[in-house]
Amino acid sequence: MSLELIDVHKSYPMLGGRKIILAGANGRVERSERLGILGRNGSGKSTLVRMIAGVEAPNKGRIKRSMSISWPIGMGAGLKPTLTGEENARFIARLYGKREDRVVDFVAGFAELEEYYRMPLMTYSSGMRSRLNLSISLAVDFDCFLVDEALAVGDTRFGRAFEERILRSGLILISHSPAMVRRLCTRAAVLDKGILTFYDDIDEALATYNAL
Amino acid sequence: MALVLRGARVQNRVIVSLIIRELGARFGRYYFGYFWLFIEPLLFGSVIGLIHYMRDRATVFGPFEFFAVGYVMFFIFRGILSRAPTAIPANRPLLFHRLVTLPDIFFARHLIEFFACAGVLALMLGGLYVVTGSFPESPIKVVAALILMTLLSQGLAFIWGAIAEAIEGTARVLQVFTFLFLPIGGLFFLVEWLPGWVQEIVLWIPTVHIFELLRDGQFGSRFRPFYDVFYVIGWIVVTHLIGLAALRITRERLGIEKALSS
Repeated sequence: MSLELIDVHKSYPMLGGRKIILAGANGRVERSERLGILGRNGSGKSTLVRMIAGVEAPNKGRIKRSMSISWPIGMGAGLKPTLTGEENARFIARLYGKREDRVVDFVAGFAELEEYYRMPLMTYSSGMRSRLNLSISLAVDFDCFLVDEALAVGDTRFGRAFEERILRSGLILISHSPAMVRRLCTRAAVLDKGILTFYDDIDEALATYNAL
Repeated sequence: MALVLRGARVQNRVIVSLIIRELGARFGRYYFGYFWLFIEPLLFGSVIGLIHYMRDRATVFGPFEFFAVGYVMFFIFRGILSRAPTAIPANRPLLFHRLVTLPDIFFARHLIEFFACAGVLALMLGGLYVVTGSFPESPIKVVAALILMTLLSQGLAFIWGAIAEAIEGTARVLQVFTFLFLPIGGLFFLVEWLPGWVQEIVLWIPTVHIFELLRDGQFGSRFRPFYDVFYVIGWIVVTHLIGLAALRITRERLGIEKALSS
């Protein structure tokens, strides 16, 4: 059960040439691992996330998935603003073939939405929306959670509960915040100028990243 | 084989969840909302049928049957095509779920449209039977026309959805197109009524064949229908092939746009 990158290339046409996101990345993430991927703004982190999630194909190379990986949490999950939190949870449960009542109950207990759970999403504050998003993804229960800087829940009761839960499963966290990677991850990689380098030692990764 | 079956099961699950989501979002959470799904084509079809009923009572067929039922058939075409340009932009975030493909989004919408219009058609034909005692001579042909119309619209919708995504502002063009298409699409005439040279021209239009098939099913023994089912099927196959290929290209391009904007 793992995620494997095999010679993955990705680039985009750009004004006056091509923007290279990945020039032959190789690597492997096991189910129980929690990997942090660090990169500066514009280094192509979001594209990498979409490729890992399987919603965008590499130009060359392969991405092999033998474990279930979540959608990129933090990029929006296609929840409808006119539907209630509960209905949106039901939709995701149906989509992933999970038991609806279980997902609905889990989110009700976890997201701290109280009566808003049965109100349309458009009435939510941004904090509520992010709690709903994160709770739904936890309820679907993937082998590995793919999180794109979405942990903007901060040091709240919900934030702590979420981190505690995510520390018990696989995680790929894409971030430009070294502190968060140190807190949540067991390994780290740095993406810079098309090169993805894996480090077994987090401090080494952070040092490299800080020197960029 | 097992893999294909599993794929089909997943796709089935995805489409069903999209349908439920779409219904909930389009009509609200109140049961009255679902009513609109049926009321709209029923009302339009009936009003058009009634206008013609009052204007020309003397035709061979009941004008109400002719125009009201025909309009519901046109409503499928219009409904599917007019929604095609918004299908992708309105559902873009859904693509973050690896399971969801662009055609799934279209399939879900088209199934809703199909069942709504099939329901209205059944209601209309049932009502006509109760009031006038007349019933389609061959209900199978009516159903076949409904299915062909849905599939043809679907192929065209794939293509139009892809074009609208590639070139901005094309949604308007489509509205004009479906409007201009109304008089020549086959809703308002039988091919038999037209002079020979016009017949030859209109028989290039696939929907004309579908309307002829519908009328053959309704009152086939009372006129000479002109249609070639295989011509329509040819259109369906070709539009699906082009459309699905266009959607594949669209899916790849979507990634680029997102990367450039973020």
